[in-house]
Amino acid sequence: MDIRKVKKLIELLEESGISEIEIHEGEESVRISRHPTGAAAAMMSAAPMAYAPPPAAPAPGVAAAPESTKDSLPEGHVITSPMVGTFYRSSAPGNKPFVENGQHVSAGDTLCIIEAMKMFNQIESDKAGAVKAILVENGQPVEFGQPLFIID
Amino acid sequence: MSLRFEILKILGDGRFHSGATLGARLGASRTAVWKHLHALSAWGLDVYAVPGKGYRLAQPLELLTREGVLPAVAPAAHALLADLEVHPHIDSTNSHLMRRAAAGLASGHACLAEYQSAGRGRRGRHWISPFGSNIYLSVLWRFSTPPAQLSGVGLAMGVAVARALRTLGVTDASLKWPNDILWQGRKLAGTLLEMSAESNGPCAVVVGVGLNTAMSAAAAGAIDQAWADLEQALGEPVPRHRIAGLLLSELLLALQSYERAGLNAFLPEWRALDDMTNRAVRLQLPHATIEGVARGIDDQGALLLECNGATRRYAAGEVSLRPLAMPPTSH
Repeated sequence: MDIRKVKKLIELLEESGISEIEIHEGEESVRISRHPTGAAAAMMSAAPMAYAPPPAAPAPGVAAAPESTKDSLPEGHVITSPMVGTFYRSSAPGNKPFVENGQHVSAGDTLCIIEAMKMFNQIESDKAGAVKAILVENGQPVEFGQPLFIID
Repeated sequence: MSLRFEILKILGDGRFHSGATLGARLGASRTAVWKHLHALSAWGLDVYAVPGKGYRLAQPLELLTREGVLPAVAPAAHALLADLEVHPHIDSTNSHLMRRAAAGLASGHACLAEYQSAGRGRRGRHWISPFGSNIYLSVLWRFSTPPAQLSGVGLAMGVAVARALRTLGVTDASLKWPNDILWQGRKLAGTLLEMSAESNGPCAVVVGVGLNTAMSAAAAGAIDQAWADLEQALGEPVPRHRIAGLLLSELLLALQSYERAGLNAFLPEWRALDDMTNRAVRLQLPHATIEGVARGIDDQGALLLECNGATRRYAAGEVSLRPLAMPPTSH
């Protein structure tokens, strides 16, 4: 396998937040792992506590996170988090979630709330379609650019 | 409903009025008057009924009017104010402006209400809103910046409320991350922000402030946390129009300044007002509780919490003071 291709894969891995990738090409195969065994699990539990400062000037189209993780997600329109915060599926504890898997939504329908320091951001769908996947659990922290929903 | 406000306007003087007089002045039956008077206690007002003398409010009530508030707005803030609505009764000033924002309301539009039937606190918690006793103010502001840069607006608004309080004479207010304004460790005011935005801006932000000015005994009993009101902090009543005007001015000026310079413009002041720094606290997250020592906020406004020798940053959660554990007996 071309060493440049391997280098490219390493770069891809580093950008994406994926911890391991395996590629088969005919007889050849390569597996690239980001962490020694065991460290991946530790990272996962530490990640929710981390807080990435918002980029000084996030230019449209250069947000790396949603672009590079797209490959591992189901096909469809990806709704990403516009800010660091906590993900809520309903307006208040005990209330019905805004949307469920498989539900049809119109553009402008509220999908979830992202809370950051008592600022409650209503995330609306910018596309009509069916909710194909809900990628975050209620009450979990989310990062800037993290995929939240797949609309198809 | 309008009859109820007419009754309140008369009772606002704090004197006794008999049911018969009220009925005659308003062209209503004594039964109708009585029903409305009864409903006032559900609004959190203390109404005294004394046989032979009639009814009176526990304390005089200065109802807010647009004409009364506008002259109290600072000249520099007037240019930023698109318009001001004053409602006697509304579901929630924040919800009202969020709805109107969706229909294209101008930046700098403000809304005051005497009573909120669905006043919102954190995550759907009910905010206690007795009629005409406190200040419930919301302001809509449209930012051209994307949401990621706006998570510190709430902290900036805390500073704005503290500035207004200082002008009123409360020099010892403090801030509790992220959205409480305290006096002597008790909650005096709170902010709640709502936003609707597309991923890369522009954003419509509604800033809501609830400030306790003079809590009635009836309403205070329903609050489940340590609270204070402006009257306690100052030792005397303050004209509500002046409070509302000053608060509105500081919010507008702070929103403009945040738009220009971001949270940086507020960090030194926020840190100086921080009530929690170097105190033992408990941070309640949706699925976990963390205990540690508060170490202030970072430049993005996240809470710094030291726990087992490591300091981490948190963008969400509820902070409370916790009693200090007995120190290790090493000395």
